[in-house]
Amino acid sequence: MDTSRSYLEPSSFSKKIAAAIIIVYTVITLIPISWMVMTSFKNVDSAISYPPEVLFEPSLEGYVNLFTNRSRQSVEYLDSLPAPETWYEELVRSREMVITGPSKFLGRYSNSMIIGFGSTFASVFLGALAAYAFSRFRVPLKDDLLFFILSTRMFPPIAVAVPIFIMYRKLGLGDTHVGMIILYTVVNLSLAVWLLKGFMDEIPKEYEEAAMIDGYTRLQAFFKVVLPQAMTGIAATAIFCMIFSWNEYAFAVLLTQFNAQTAPPFIPTIIGEGGLDWPAIGAGTTLFLLPVMIFTIILRKHLLRGITFGAVRK
Amino acid sequence: MNVKKKFKGLSDKAVGWLFIGPTVLLLLAINIYPLIYAIKMSFTNFYANKIGRVPEFVGLKNYIKVLNKEAIWEKMQVTASFMFWTLLLQAVIGLGLALLLNRKFKGNELLTTLIVLPMMLSPAVVGVFWTYLYNPQVGLFNYVINFFHDFGSFDMIGSSVLAPWSIVIVDTWMWTPFTMLICLAGLRSVPNYLYEAAEVDRANKWQQFLYITLPSVLPFLLLALLFRGIENFKMFDMVVELTSGGPGSATELASISLKREAFEKWKTGYSSAFAVILFVTIFGFGNVYVKVMNKIKER
Repeated sequence: MDTSRSYLEPSSFSKKIAAAIIIVYTVITLIPISWMVMTSFKNVDSAISYPPEVLFEPSLEGYVNLFTNRSRQSVEYLDSLPAPETWYEELVRSREMVITGPSKFLGRYSNSMIIGFGSTFASVFLGALAAYAFSRFRVPLKDDLLFFILSTRMFPPIAVAVPIFIMYRKLGLGDTHVGMIILYTVVNLSLAVWLLKGFMDEIPKEYEEAAMIDGYTRLQAFFKVVLPQAMTGIAATAIFCMIFSWNEYAFAVLLTQFNAQTAPPFIPTIIGEGGLDWPAIGAGTTLFLLPVMIFTIILRKHLLRGITFGAVRK
Repeated sequence: MNVKKKFKGLSDKAVGWLFIGPTVLLLLAINIYPLIYAIKMSFTNFYANKIGRVPEFVGLKNYIKVLNKEAIWEKMQVTASFMFWTLLLQAVIGLGLALLLNRKFKGNELLTTLIVLPMMLSPAVVGVFWTYLYNPQVGLFNYVINFFHDFGSFDMIGSSVLAPWSIVIVDTWMWTPFTMLICLAGLRSVPNYLYEAAEVDRANKWQQFLYITLPSVLPFLLLALLFRGIENFKMFDMVVELTSGGPGSATELASISLKREAFEKWKTGYSSAFAVILFVTIFGFGNVYVKVMNKIKER
């Protein structure tokens, strides 16, 4: 046995084996995602060829189809039209179709943005206030209240969807942005409170006490001393809330239809002629997943904390 | 504590209520009120699509109906088997990956981040793109399986034998990183001196794993599984988009069944009773979850 290294350090051979297995797993696990991205750059025919094409001629047909509505026309009609002005019109023409207008995708995507940002801001703001109080003050029934807040996250969305549906119908909040923002804020609050409490526990009490001795009120000390200190935690929490709102499906599909529908219930409904338009679905999926992937990479250091509601910190 | 008297502004008690109040009120309004409303409706024969009809009180009839209906128990069985297989696979693969990643080879940070990607994606959208991978004519999944062993044409989603496995595979693909990350944290929390002491005592690697590593990781693994258990008990989005509960009701999990009763048949009273039963079950899980979580925090 090699005595020069520590007992605990795995041998370089075992490290190589471990690395090899992990690399194989990583490649396999990324295939479905890469396949969807590749499909978004295929044309409609190449997306449904068998065996599946790994090498293909890239095309933007999926993206064009995602953003437009088209209708099929006769060759005579197409010939009578003036020459196409843009590359995407030309692409659609080559399929013997004309563009009839923009699709709903952009609207759904911006709904996702509006509802995502709105609810993230609200839940992080309210969550930070509550987390600070739980972290610093002697709150009666503190543990029960914290458990109550966590337990709201365990509700199956479908179980409360009917009463919320009826309630929203009465209040006129059904299928509105405000209604969805309130709903997602509430769902995210439990995560925001638990995560931010953990981050605030880590800020020494002495900071704000020093500020208060200098004449700050408790509120001023919170806004001017504690909040800036907690910025990393707040940013991480915000990204988690944003990802949740962005990905949410059950409430969106049950409570929205036309006005406030977000992208997840919309993407599966993208239909081409004779079945689902896979390149367009691929394009929608790619554009939809891209922000989440970027956020995940930014968030990697806090990932563990976020997914366990702050239970595991390292 | 008497120092506080010297500070200006609102008292700590007032600030405390001011800060916690909005959160608690909002949760009461949007979570607890609907829950109480659901409990109330579960004792009536209310139909949410029949506006103007006055619902009657029917006592425990809905509960008796739910619990006596054989179909409900079939759905519970579908849910239980989905949970069993996903949790088992995710525990074994997740722990295995964590043990490998813990060897701290070069580049494992980057690989960890890449492995984690699937679990951050929208489950509904994941469900959609897996229908493409599972497509019996052009799907990549079917092609790859047939590449290794030619089973001929098979339909993962359309066959009632394979469909339950199709959702288990996707869930495992998506959520194994979750168990992996938490187990990895568990492994990194084991202090080195334990292994050093074991080396001195001439414990072999296998004994070290059995008596040091495993007991240390176990509470972490349990936490991960409880969390996944709760999530998979409520599972809705991914499966709705992938199989929509079919074929027939082969993959009709409890939540999907509840959605069909509540939003397609509009049996509000009956489905509320069903919802309350599901909620009580989850709440039981939740209590255990918090106890495990507190145990971990104490360490």
